[in-house]
Amino acid sequence: MNADAPSSREIYSESYTQRIWRHFWSDSFARNGLRTIIALFFIAALAPFLANSHALVRVDDGQVSLPIFQSLEAIEWRFLLYVPLAAVVYFLRGRFVIRPGLSFLGVVAVVAAIEIVLAVTHPVNDPTNDRDRPASFKLMPLIPYAPVESTPDQFAPPSWKHLCGTDSTGRDIAARMLHGARTSLSIGFIAQSIALLVGVSLGGFAGYYRGWFDIGVCRFIEIMDCFPTLLLILAVIGLFPAQNNMFYIMAVIGLTSWTGLARLVRGEFLRLGSQPFPQAARALGAGDFRVITRHLLPNALGPILVSATFGVASAILLESSLSFLGFGMQAPTPSWGDILSDARRYIDFAWWLAFFPGLAILITLVSYNFVGEGLRDAVDPRLKVK
Amino acid sequence: MTTYLIRRVLLLIPTLMGITLLTFLLIRLSPGNAALLKGGGGEGGGKAMTAEVREQMIKLYGLDKPPLIAYGDWIARSVRLDLGNSIVDHRSVAAKIGERLPLTMSLAGSALILSYLLAIPLGIAAALKRGQIVDRTISFVVFVLYSIPSFAAALFLILLVAGGDYLNLLPMYGANSINAPEMGPFTWLWDRILHMILPVVCLTYASLASISRYSRVSMLDALGQDFIRTARAKGLPERLVVFRHALRNALIPIITIFALELPALIGGAVIIEEIFSLPGMGQLMFQSIDTKDEPVIMGVTVLAAVVTLLSYLAADILYVVVDPRITYE
Repeated sequence: MNADAPSSREIYSESYTQRIWRHFWSDSFARNGLRTIIALFFIAALAPFLANSHALVRVDDGQVSLPIFQSLEAIEWRFLLYVPLAAVVYFLRGRFVIRPGLSFLGVVAVVAAIEIVLAVTHPVNDPTNDRDRPASFKLMPLIPYAPVESTPDQFAPPSWKHLCGTDSTGRDIAARMLHGARTSLSIGFIAQSIALLVGVSLGGFAGYYRGWFDIGVCRFIEIMDCFPTLLLILAVIGLFPAQNNMFYIMAVIGLTSWTGLARLVRGEFLRLGSQPFPQAARALGAGDFRVITRHLLPNALGPILVSATFGVASAILLESSLSFLGFGMQAPTPSWGDILSDARRYIDFAWWLAFFPGLAILITLVSYNFVGEGLRDAVDPRLKVK
Repeated sequence: MTTYLIRRVLLLIPTLMGITLLTFLLIRLSPGNAALLKGGGGEGGGKAMTAEVREQMIKLYGLDKPPLIAYGDWIARSVRLDLGNSIVDHRSVAAKIGERLPLTMSLAGSALILSYLLAIPLGIAAALKRGQIVDRTISFVVFVLYSIPSFAAALFLILLVAGGDYLNLLPMYGANSINAPEMGPFTWLWDRILHMILPVVCLTYASLASISRYSRVSMLDALGQDFIRTARAKGLPERLVVFRHALRNALIPIITIFALELPALIGGAVIIEEIFSLPGMGQLMFQSIDTKDEPVIMGVTVLAAVVTLLSYLAADILYVVVDPRITYE
């Protein structure tokens, strides 16, 4: 028996979620996969502070300035300000009950204030860098280059100056990788959220209402499944070009990869719907919406979560394939797939252009797949083949 | 069984209609058309055509008709097995596909065969040594392989063994060397094989991973059955227990997943053909999407859909053939 095994009393009192979590956490691959993903998200969130051509702090003749904040664009400010705001709202959620109206107004006021300030102060696009500018004291970020900044060192192999080397226009690969993590991770996450929304609602309604709607949805899934996903996405983006639009790429990936989830949810709903508990809920006067969201969906949540985790991995893979083929995010927007597509042209000598982004994609995909695998074993221990 | 087959084949028709209609509408609803792209001159290359010629071309290919009527025309032609001519170079779509299909099919086919040949022994080995170091190593390696994007692997293989600064053993791209037309049949074949090694390896390792994981589970499942205990109890040597009793039963589900692997391989071939500049179906699809060559896009779509649907059908039939316990009555 391992050390953190719960006592029998704890087993009887633990909830479904706690049990899944305990199973999940006891799997070392899954545990480390989750840790890696969280670390990657932190890196992505902090990318402007890790890799930037502007100093974090500089002191000129006793005057202290923070040049890095001037270089941030509006979207980065939003990210910086809204994430703590959401965290504050989350931790104080219990107290909002006292004066819900007032708290809501407060949040709206803060958001409005942030937006007005952002609208008034245009992002300062400062092409200068603080690397070469002397100061009495300066603290540069870990990687003192911006992701879109060209330096005179072209095709520099990895060295202490450029940790991951530079590309054909002298851009620092380490900086591009850190900022590219934002593109890849957010596209993977949001595209899969879209797929989740479409798949769960279509599959759920089909499984719940059955009949004609079910037949229609099943045919549609079958039709969608006959296209290889990559081919379908290429066709859509090729025919309706809107390049370098992250939200478009997210939507296209999301809207073409929901069929697996829809099949799964439909199957679960068919199975659960014929059990007595939804009927009991209906007998107590619950409407369709309540039965679906309160009784059926929570019971199907485990497999959905597993499938969605694997889905994020495949969305990240799709995004990088698209960028690699020149259909996704393109330079100067940094993305791992885009660095790789640059690598293709210079592959005979510039190994670092392929190695680092390839490794980043590999680590991300392996982590997501380990988490998915761990979740699957935790959700349904019968499937566990040890 | 016959009634089941007839019903299945009849059900293919609405699915195919749906696929083609969806593709057709996608092409028609997108901005611009082939005639405009072709006659535009400028970036696309070639000289600009006069408005008159363009009008004629639009009429000829029915690009001015309402989408649903044009789709009706397309269906009417296709059921007579006439996929029409390419708008770009006026060659028949069937001929264009015909000259590219063998390459893609041989690529996907050899990858499929190779991954089965490697995956089943790996899966058996992992299942027999379950929980031991062999099993864990195989599972881990296969899992990592499964997570490597094929294009990244392709780039690395090129860098390491084809024309890079390291080893220069294999050709970097293309289906044949430039001087291939002058080669004798055997040198030509050898040349082709050399060109195909890297693309096939890139396609193989990903499906190798999923098939070997699948065969491990399937083999474990078979080894846990009662008749295996019986076979051991009556004193059969372990070799016979494993290969005659367990393996035969474990193979049933493994054989049928080729139906899932084949469409994935064809999809994967698109990106691999692009990297290695192979003149296959993927490249044709790329070109035709680029020029909005409606008849070619439709032809390639129909072919991909038919291959996918037929492999699903074949899988269902194989279930019955390899496992007499299953019937569709």
